[in-house]
Amino acid sequence: MPEGLANVLREIRAERDLTQAALAELVGVSRKTINTVENGIFVPSTLVALRIARALGRPVEEIFRLDDPAG
Amino acid sequence: MRTKSDHEMAETVSRRRSVMLIGLGALLLAGQPLYFANDGIPAAQLKTVAWLGWSLVLLAALAWAGGNFFGGSVRALVEDEIAVANRARACAAGFWAAMLVAIGLYGFSLFDNLKGRESIHLVVTAGIGIALLRFGLLERRALHDA
Repeated sequence: MPEGLANVLREIRAERDLTQAALAELVGVSRKTINTVENGIFVPSTLVALRIARALGRPVEEIFRLDDPAG
Repeated sequence: MRTKSDHEMAETVSRRRSVMLIGLGALLLAGQPLYFANDGIPAAQLKTVAWLGWSLVLLAALAWAGGNFFGGSVRALVEDEIAVANRARACAAGFWAAMLVAIGLYGFSLFDNLKGRESIHLVVTAGIGIALLRFGLLERRALHDA
């Protein structure tokens, strides 16, 4: 993951049986954004991270975490 | 009347844009031998004006292309955070390409007489062409399913 940000977005999305496109609609972003965040290509802004967390009904720290031993 | 949702439309526009950017960038760079070919046709002014117009169109495409004709909500989805970040990276790549070509031309001028117009042409073409290619490729990667 770039800049030490890991996430479990793909796993949570799979639990909910949501496609990238469906989650993108729930969050109000493009599928491209969901795809790049899931694949670690893009580190989202705080705003988008919070919107993803709200759409999935999870605290943001359950979805995103620092990818280092202290994280 | 449009049958696709805003999200579907944004996906389609983003895919088309990425292909268009790559195509335009490749066309601009690949067309340089043709521009500099001495074809014997006294069309220097025409070529210059055509390149001037073409460069401005491509610069506008780099800066603004993306869902402009499909309403604000589609445009917002096409021009999302990742697109803005990709464009910034592409413009940085274009800047470095332009600088490297400019420095190369400056060095080359020690050995040959360069015309100012041709030098500017090469610097601008490298900057815009590389930026278009880079933006298109970054967008392709972002759209690509894992």
